[in-house]
Order: sequence, then C-alpha cells, then structure tokens
Amino acid sequence: MKPGLSIKAGKLLLLALVLAWSLFPILLIVTASFKPATIIFDIPPKWLFAPTLDNYRLLIDQWPDFWRCLKNSLIITIGATALTVLSSSLAGYVYSRHRGTAMAGSAFFMVVVRMFPPIVITLPLFPVVNWLRINDTHLLLILLYATFFVSLSTWIVKAGIDQLPVELEEAAAIDGASLPQVLRLVVLPLIAPTLIASGVFVFVFAWNEFLFAFIFTTTSAKTAPLLISEMMGSATGVDWGVVFAAATIQLLPILLFVMLAQKYLVAGLTAGAVKN
Amino acid sequence: MAPRAIHWLMLSPAQLLLVVFIFVPSLYVAWLSLHSASFGKPTVFVGIANYLSLLTDAYFWRAFWNTFVIVNLVVYIELLLGLGMALLFASGVPWTRLMLALVIAPYAISEVVAVTIWRTMFEPDAGLVNYFLALASIPAIQWSSNVSHAFGVVILLAVWHHLPFTFLILYTARLAIPKEIYEAAAIDGATRWQQFRRLTFGLLIPAMLVALMFRYIFAFRIFSEVWLLTQGGPARATEVLSVFLYKSAFSYNALGMAAATGWMMLLLSLLIALYYLRLAYRRMFAPEAA
Repeated sequence: MKPGLSIKAGKLLLLALVLAWSLFPILLIVTASFKPATIIFDIPPKWLFAPTLDNYRLLIDQWPDFWRCLKNSLIITIGATALTVLSSSLAGYVYSRHRGTAMAGSAFFMVVVRMFPPIVITLPLFPVVNWLRINDTHLLLILLYATFFVSLSTWIVKAGIDQLPVELEEAAAIDGASLPQVLRLVVLPLIAPTLIASGVFVFVFAWNEFLFAFIFTTTSAKTAPLLISEMMGSATGVDWGVVFAAATIQLLPILLFVMLAQKYLVAGLTAGAVKN
Repeated sequence: MAPRAIHWLMLSPAQLLLVVFIFVPSLYVAWLSLHSASFGKPTVFVGIANYLSLLTDAYFWRAFWNTFVIVNLVVYIELLLGLGMALLFASGVPWTRLMLALVIAPYAISEVVAVTIWRTMFEPDAGLVNYFLALASIPAIQWSSNVSHAFGVVILLAVWHHLPFTFLILYTARLAIPKEIYEAAAIDGATRWQQFRRLTFGLLIPAMLVALMFRYIFAFRIFSEVWLLTQGGPARATEVLSVFLYKSAFSYNALGMAAATGWMMLLLSLLIALYYLRLAYRRMFAPEAA
C-alpha cells in the first residue's frame, strides 16, 4: 500500500469517528422513539425492528399539553427572532455608518453587558415580572431571548453593512429618499443574507432554551423543552418511549434548520462575512 | 457623519432591551447583595455580611470548586478536540459541506434533550455505556450516587453539546490562512510537524483565544445540564454556582446570599472576558506578534 493511501484511510477512519460521536447519540433516541416498549431498552440495541408509532400515540393521549407547548415554542421563537433582527438591523446600520466616542462607548456597552450570566438577572426580574403580571407570557420570553442575542446580531449586521458602498445610500438620499426609505428599499434588501445570519442564532436558542422558561413560565407560555423536562421528572414513573417521541418531534425541525442554515452560522461566527 | 437624533432613536430598541433586562437588574442585584432579603419581606441593610457568610459557607465553596473543575475540563477538552477536527476538515474530507452539516448536529439539540440522550446512554441498569463497560469487565458508571461519575457525564455531555461551536471557530480561522505560506515553508524544507508547530498553531492562537473566552464565559454559567441530571445531589455534592444561586433564591429564600453569589459570578465573567480580550489584543496588535 502506498503511504498516501494509508494516510487517506486513516483520515476516513477519523472522519467516521467524528461522525459517530456527533450523530450516534441523536440517532439512538430517534430510532428508540419508533420501537415497541418491549424492546426499547434491549441491550445491545436492536437496529432492525418493525417500527411502530405507539409511543407517538401515547404522547398524544397522555400529554395533550405537548402540542400547545410546541406551539408556544414556535410563537416565542418567531417573535424573538423578529424582534432581534429588527432591533439589530437599526442598531447595526447606525454603528456601521457613524463613528465617534459616544458610538464606540455604546457599542462597548452592548458587548460587555451581554457577558453577564443570565441566571443573575432572574433574581430581580422575578418579583418585578410578577408585579407587572407578565409572568408566564409569550412576550416576556420573547423580550428576554431577544435581549441576550441583540448584541451578536447587531455585530453581524454591522459587519454586513460595512461591506456595502455608502454611495448607494447617498444617491438615494439625493433623489429625496428619507432615512427609513433608504433602509427599507436600499440597504436591508441588499443585505438579506446577513439578516438571515443575524437571526439564526437566536432562532436556535429560543427554540431550545431552558433556564428562563423554567423560571418564568408555569402553564400558559410553557415551552416544549420545559414540558419534556417535566416528563422526565414525572413522579408516576417515566415512560421513556413517550419522552423519546417528544424529544424527536422537538429536535427534528431544528436539526434540519441548523443543517440548512450552516452557511449562515459559519458566517455569523466569523462576524458577518456573508456574500450579500 | 455625525449621528443625529434619529440615529440615537434607531439604537434605542437594542439598547433599551439591554438596559432594562440586564443592566438595571444587575445593579439591583448588587444593591440586593448588601441587604438581607427574602421574597415578600422588607429588606435590611447588612453591608458585606452576605459576602462574608458566603465565604464561610462550605456549600458555596464546593459549588465554586465544582464549577472551576468542570469548566476547565470542558473548555480545554473542547479546544483539543475542536482543533483536531478543524485540522482534519481543513486537510480535505469528501463531501465537505454535507459532513460539516452533520458534525454540527449537536448544536441544534436542546439541553433538555441532550440530557435525556446522555442519561439514557449512561443509565446504570439499562444503559448502553455500562453494557460495554461490563463486556470489558470495568465497573458500571453510577452517576446518580457517585459524584465524580456524575461530573464525568456532565462534562462529556457539555463537550458533546458545544464542540460544534469551538470547531467552527477554529475551522474557519484555519481556512483563512493562505496556502502560499505552506508552499513557501515546504520549499524551505519544513516538515509537516514543523509546519503545524511554527505556522498553523501560531496563526490559530487568536482564534483559540476567542473560542476559549466565549466558552469560558458560557461554560461558567452551566445550569441545565447539572440541574436536569442530578439537581445538585446527592447531598448538594454536585452543585455548581448557578445551581447554588438558584437554590439559595428559590428553595431557601435567601435572596441576599443568592444576589451576592450572582454578583460574584458577574464579576468573574467580566474578569475572564477582560483577561482574554487583553491577551487577544496583545497578540494581534503587538509590534512583535507571536
């Protein structure tokens, strides 16, 4: 065997290991969710079996709340993403086009404040939120999730607008366009890919978040991850097949989303170098 | 162009969110940490008494050291694995885009589901891992009763969950290194190992600092993984700082203590951030870099 060939084989082996590490745990519970209760914990696990939807039927029967929580998650995720993209487009534009000490100071503030641990702010917010009666509402979670991602998104939008030639805006302004018109008709359409990149992180976060949902929701705004955690802690004994079914429904859409949005995730992590 | 009123107005939604939901609450936490307080009772000024009682609280110190050990292990294991993966992918793998999409899959998984998955695999009686350990005559992992086993599962789970982040940062940084540098080094007779040590490693240091900083700050607040797996038990032995804070506030109603813990966590986060930002700044802008 030529040395080049053995290096290639070694690389493929390593790649296979990395793939197994990343995917095996996920595949394990997705397949388990289609197994009949009798073999769900068979060891070694059976990979060949007649798939059944029993666990999903039980999920519908025993946890009618699950669909409502899934809907809550969807509403909160979309709301938080929209709020984040909107507020960070406005801020990102200003940071890209204007300089100065006050600007630099407020940009620095955005980055530093975002480093604060979220659990710290739950203490003072808890009584205030109860007093304002916005506890257990979609709005509260939307605001909180947007808060923790508005810095990153602003940064991404700013980097995207930095790449646009300012002459376009000047030409539009000479033609009599107001600033809101310039933004809506010229700038934002041109940086559409950047706007997507600025939204993917908060989208994934909001769909999956646990801590704030755990502390600030009880019934009407309860999210899917929170309900799954309750299923796991059920006092009457955990029906793992049902938990796996719920987990599968919760994870598949976001998994697909992350895989499709891969390009935007990478661009966001490298501070917005998306091809506009 | 000097900013006009409309520009400050455009900044306000983003800034308002941060001020209202993070900045003001944090200041209030600082104030609270100097008071004896519990939900529904009037507060009394106690000076630094909360901090003093924290520093003599055995549970606080245990939570502190638990966090310290977990965070350092998680962050450095991730850095090592992430670097290895980045080099593997940069050296060329078949169907790169598809492979990338597949290996970042754990990023999409919620903490709750991730805990479900790893708990199932490590289940003492019916889990896959103990089955294989038994085949190799190694004693079973008992994460629900053995503290270091519980930490092992938490660390493994956290590394699995966050490796895509570290990997992507290092991979994109590695791709940004121009090929010509390696060609020149090869002409000068540098071996592959020398190329890695002298070129790749040195040039990746800024990216590694960025990855380390973010992962330190985010790993430091670890809550869900521990809470969902052990709730800090047995006997509060697996508590981390966030769990300690949560319990102080919401189980023991000791708001002052919780606030003092919170303010300490906040200061530590800032220190970590400043430390790495300074290092990164020096590396990138010092005249005699690397």
